[in-house]
Amino acid sequence: MRRLTDNWRSTTARLVLIYGSFFALWGIVVIGLIHWQAASYLTRVSNELIGRQAEYFTMLDEPTRRHALNDYVSLETRQLNAWGLFDARGKPLAGTITALPSQVVINGAVAIVPQGLERNDGHAHVSVRAAAVRLDDGRILLVSRDTSIVDRIGTIILQALLWGISLTVVPGLLGGWLLARGPLRRVHAIREATLPIMRGDLAQRLPVSRHGDELDMLAGIVNAMLDEIERLLGEVKGVCDNIAHDLRTPLTRLRARIYRLQQQFDEGSSENATLEACLVDTDALLNRFRALLRISELENQQRRAGFDQVDLAEILQEVHALYLPLAEDRGQQLELELPPLPPIRADRHLLLEAFSNLVGNAIKFTPSGGRVAIRARAAEDGPWVDVCDSGPGIPVDQRVAVTRRFYRTESCRSTPGSGLGLSIVSAIARLHGYTLQIADSESGARLSLHCRDAASV
Amino acid sequence: MPRILVIEDDDVTAREIAAELASHGIETDRVADGREGLRRAADPCYDAITLDLMLPGLDGLSVVTQLRGQGIATPVLMISALSDVDERVRGLRAGGDDYLTKPFAPDEMVARVDVLLRRHRQQGQHALLRVADLELDLVRHVVRRGETQLSLLPTEFKLLEFLMRHAGQVLTRTMIFETVWGFHFDPGTNLIDVHIGRLRKKIDAAGCTPLIHTVRGSGYSLAQTD
Repeated sequence: MRRLTDNWRSTTARLVLIYGSFFALWGIVVIGLIHWQAASYLTRVSNELIGRQAEYFTMLDEPTRRHALNDYVSLETRQLNAWGLFDARGKPLAGTITALPSQVVINGAVAIVPQGLERNDGHAHVSVRAAAVRLDDGRILLVSRDTSIVDRIGTIILQALLWGISLTVVPGLLGGWLLARGPLRRVHAIREATLPIMRGDLAQRLPVSRHGDELDMLAGIVNAMLDEIERLLGEVKGVCDNIAHDLRTPLTRLRARIYRLQQQFDEGSSENATLEACLVDTDALLNRFRALLRISELENQQRRAGFDQVDLAEILQEVHALYLPLAEDRGQQLELELPPLPPIRADRHLLLEAFSNLVGNAIKFTPSGGRVAIRARAAEDGPWVDVCDSGPGIPVDQRVAVTRRFYRTESCRSTPGSGLGLSIVSAIARLHGYTLQIADSESGARLSLHCRDAASV
Repeated sequence: MPRILVIEDDDVTAREIAAELASHGIETDRVADGREGLRRAADPCYDAITLDLMLPGLDGLSVVTQLRGQGIATPVLMISALSDVDERVRGLRAGGDDYLTKPFAPDEMVARVDVLLRRHRQQGQHALLRVADLELDLVRHVVRRGETQLSLLPTEFKLLEFLMRHAGQVLTRTMIFETVWGFHFDPGTNLIDVHIGRLRKKIDAAGCTPLIHTVRGSGYSLAQTD
């Protein structure tokens, strides 16, 4: 049955997944590259700036430096810049920075202080870059610049990346799943269409939509193939029917000649007996051809002119009465179970023929002393008729084959018969839209004909 | 000597019918065209007609319909390549008396013509059928062999009635199956033989002269033999 996960197995969904992952990965790489470039540029600029400033401050004399340092702080908005003056042992003397961070080496090199500096103006705990230089008098000057902007740009880029991915991938996946539904629905329609074909209805074709896409092309190819198969099978069947038809006339003449010849010999003479055997063989041949032609006659019969309201119970009683003496002669029990049944729409003669074949078959394959039962049961969508026997049964792998022409199970080769009985039943069932089921009974085979009400199909 | 009109356009089939009927002492005239056939069929010298359904000029169904329309009651055996039940029903409804599918066994054809000829000669229903010391009372539904009353099942009664109505004639298994059961398919196996066997056991009980005879290769016949 169709499941939600089926959608992910389609080609469209797989393509969406592959492209989605590819684009996500590519986005990450591109944005990472941009981030790395931007960050390294900004870092380089700040480092240069801080280094140069520190160097510059060392070159000034004390009053000018103090001036310059104050300008350094106040000229920059948002108090990005800060400075601190420490004595040789690191004790704060002036400025807003109150402690020397451990990361900073006092040689003018720029270092990152990620946890921020201790400051007395409330701007602590912000990642900064700082450089410390030793002044001529031994004091230490620390200048710093808030570089959290670099990290913030990184964060913005990362957020942009996440948003971008989620806005691309999520609708993409959803869209893919939805897109995959269309073709899948058509695949399911095609599967539905193949079921009757697999059951042998070669007139069925796969549905072709007006899109003309890959699925339609495939369906077209399969349909062309089915046309050819149907034509070939029709030809084979036609040849078979023609042979059966053409051979019937000479065979009938042959039988007549043998019969006339036989009449010329006394009953009991060896010639008479030989000719009698010839007659039996010819009759068997003729019966086989007759059955074969009967099947193709049934298969070609499309109209339902002979259809009428039919009392199924009456038909079953007739068939039971017809076969009871035969069963008794073979020491078998022939049972009939008949609950009240509603009338069905069918061809009475054909149903009689079908049930006759079923019961005749059951009797033929049931050993002496066995049991054959005709059981009818009513159901919502039309009555069922089971013909159960206590014969050898029909092996599971041969159940489809037995309804084919001439098919006989290995185990019954020794029993006389044309192998066409069930084919006739199956052809009659098809004509009525009934189904023939073959299963096991308690002790042998069970052949069930479901007389499905045409209105409920 | 009975005389039969064969309306048949196929030469081989016509020759076959003529030869087979001649060997049973029946004279035949042959016509190959439907219109001509209809004209000749009006001649009261014919005891029966075999009529092919596919004819040039006028088709068999129309021939029999017009024949009956003119009030001519000569029995007609329709012969057709179509074995369909519907086709048969249509033929019989149009006024045909029996229907035989091509290709047919000649003895089957002769048996059917024979039945038609005798039916033609002995019109009217009898309330009591009698063959030797076997009596079948159609009104009281009683069968008696000599002094003994026999109890028969409904099917056995119908079977015996058919055999007795056509006493002395060969009845093929197909004819029996079609008339007694009204079925038009091939029952296969030895179904009819079993039914006849049952009836025979009741009719020809030990000590009685057998009345039901098997005609080898053809069918059965109920008759008193000397």
